[in-house]
Amino acid sequence: MKIVDRHDEAPGVRTMKLEFQDPADHELFKETYRTGMFGLYGVYGEGESTFCVASPETRKEYIECTFRESGRVTSALARADIGDLVTFRGPYGNRFPLEEFYGKNLLFIAGGIALPPTRSVIWSCLDQREKFGKVTIVYGARTVADLVYKHELEEWMQRDDVELVLAVDPGGESPDWKHRIGFVPTVLEEAAPSPDNCVAVLCGPPIMIKFTLISLKKLGFDESNVYTTLENRMKCGLGKCGRCNVGSIYVCKEGPVFTAEEVSRMPAADL
Amino acid sequence: MTKILFTDKLDSCVERWRSAGMTVIGPVQRANSSVYGAVKSASELDLNLVLTDRSIKELFFPQSEPMLRYAITKAEINTDEFLPPSGPRIIFGARACDASGLAIDDPLFGWDYKDEYWFQRRNESVIVTIACTKADEFCMCTSLKLSPDSTKGSDILLRPLENNKGWQVEELTDRGREAFKSVADLLQEGSDPAAATVTVPEKFNADACAEWLKNPENFESRFWKEISARCIGCGSCTYLCPTCHCFDIQDEGGSFEGIRRKNWDSCSFALFTMHTSGHNPRSTQSARWRQRIMHKFNYFPGKFSANSCSGCGRCTRECPVDMGITETLQEISKLSQ
Ligand SMILES: Cc1cc2nc3c(=O)[nH]c(=O)nc-3n(C[C@H](O)[C@H](O)[C@H](O)COP(=O)(O)OP(=O)(O)OC[C@H]3O[C@@H](n4cnc5c(N)ncnc54)[C@H](O)[C@@H]3O)c2cc1C
Ligand code: SF4
Ligand code: SF4
Ligand code: SF4
Ligand code: FES
Repeated sequence: MKIVDRHDEAPGVRTMKLEFQDPADHELFKETYRTGMFGLYGVYGEGESTFCVASPETRKEYIECTFRESGRVTSALARADIGDLVTFRGPYGNRFPLEEFYGKNLLFIAGGIALPPTRSVIWSCLDQREKFGKVTIVYGARTVADLVYKHELEEWMQRDDVELVLAVDPGGESPDWKHRIGFVPTVLEEAAPSPDNCVAVLCGPPIMIKFTLISLKKLGFDESNVYTTLENRMKCGLGKCGRCNVGSIYVCKEGPVFTAEEVSRMPAADL
Repeated sequence: MTKILFTDKLDSCVERWRSAGMTVIGPVQRANSSVYGAVKSASELDLNLVLTDRSIKELFFPQSEPMLRYAITKAEINTDEFLPPSGPRIIFGARACDASGLAIDDPLFGWDYKDEYWFQRRNESVIVTIACTKADEFCMCTSLKLSPDSTKGSDILLRPLENNKGWQVEELTDRGREAFKSVADLLQEGSDPAAATVTVPEKFNADACAEWLKNPENFESRFWKEISARCIGCGSCTYLCPTCHCFDIQDEGGSFEGIRRKNWDSCSFALFTMHTSGHNPRSTQSARWRQRIMHKFNYFPGKFSANSCSGCGRCTRECPVDMGITETLQEISKLSQ
């Protein structure tokens, strides 16, 4: 696929916009892609790396992915420029069951670099806004610089049909920071969204997920109404290489989207 | 009356199969270890081994296999896919535990996405299994509800005659029948009795083990640490295993040209599940050993209705610290009593 646009979101975090070279591949993608799915993005000579498709299922003209430069493949992807070609395998995995969210209030909670998978669901919902109730987004990062999709945060902030709660960790604020200071679970409890007729989509590093689940429970959310994605190391994406398993679950096939209830039934020591 | 293949006719069979364009493969000695390798004549075959050191798996799922070649110019990426090599072959002298190992892995490679590398080779191979008349202390096919003369995964089963002069031929599949049609005139009708297959004592109770493994409470049992304390994570047990199938995908070469390969990998290796963030879900050797046992005797059967183990015993036979699956399952059998 060809890189048609790219920009830096935060230090070491980049978004790439990719277009299909082959119309047949594009058709297949349009038919199969649903929000929550992931792909294997690659650079020959370096390998492949797994990211969610960060663009929503309501916009299938291109693929956007946002990644943190952290290893061999992501460094190579970060070196690639507009016009360069990269590989994509996918979309793989399961999806967020959007139809089940119709008519419900939505609570999105994301930490740091985990906004990309959440953003795919957020836009899939905002692009068909009338089908959903109240939309609340709680997003926190370590520092102001680490917040990703700053232009879109601005846009959500302006909308009167979205409630956006932004936070940075204590010490991560800048002198002109006007939003909250605190960790995601704390900020979430302060915002106190109602669990009535509400589904929550929660993405973040394992430690944030752990504590946010406790906060959600306090707020009265049922585990079966909380969705999250697992990000185990993957190679094949096809349920064969045996790498992504948590207990008996192949995350690449049966995930990456699970309800918190499903996750709680997995062996905790394997997560 | 039974069809009999006398030992002295085997060389003509090999010749016949080879001239029909089939590669003939069987147990041979190569570089200090016994493997399934291609032969030109029957005399090269080593049919007296209890079992080859290396399993039959590598004939279907090589340790390292090219998937595609890439060449990159300024404006283009060119790729050539390596398709799995095709050509009919006959594997003569497999053991029942190896043949059934292949049958165990078929559903995994066929689940959802069909792995053409595996199935191309499966479809082009005739598996001629010889029932075992000897075993060693590590053999445990019977503990896995298989046997030295199990037909699972085989196209032909040969039962050694009492006088060691040949084999009774049991045709099991069309593919097997087809391959033996070309040597029909080299077979004889006879009533020579087959030798008894070896008796392999049951070493553990697989059903009891499965029950114990299924109980979520046992996931955190101290047992795992104790039983795996010696494991050095070398991965030999997984590489030699006919049913272990974990792999990695790696690029070899530079930014402009090279080869993308599929290589064996192992759940015993410390970095196998390491996230780039540094978080490792299975960060201790005992967690990795637990995964191997759970995968083979709990998760895999849950998904594909068979244990991911055929009882060949290689994992125990070749483990540098004398661990292996046998001891673990024997202990679990005791715990579950
Ligand atoms: C479904 C899913 C969705 C994802 N979505 C996103 C996303 O949208 N954005 C994103 O940024 N990431 C995402 N990830 C995570 C992402 O896949 C990894 O961060 C990325 O693959 C790692 O980058 P890399 O390939 O460059 O690393 P590699 O070059 O593959 O480096 C990893 C290698 O280094 C080793 N290694 C890593 N850390 C250490 C360490 N501390 N010590 C020793 N060895 C180490 C590993 O074992 C491995 O061999 C997702 C993952 C999944 C499974
Ligand atoms: S485990 Fe059974 S089938 Fe395998 S070599 Fe031993 S006796 Fe034969
Ligand atoms: S059990 Fe033995 S063979 Fe297997 S990884 Fe451990 S030390 Fe190596
Ligand atoms: S686990 Fe051990 S005994 Fe079972 S098939 Fe693999 S190598 Fe053979
Ligand atoms: S990534 Fe290979 S089995 Fe899931």
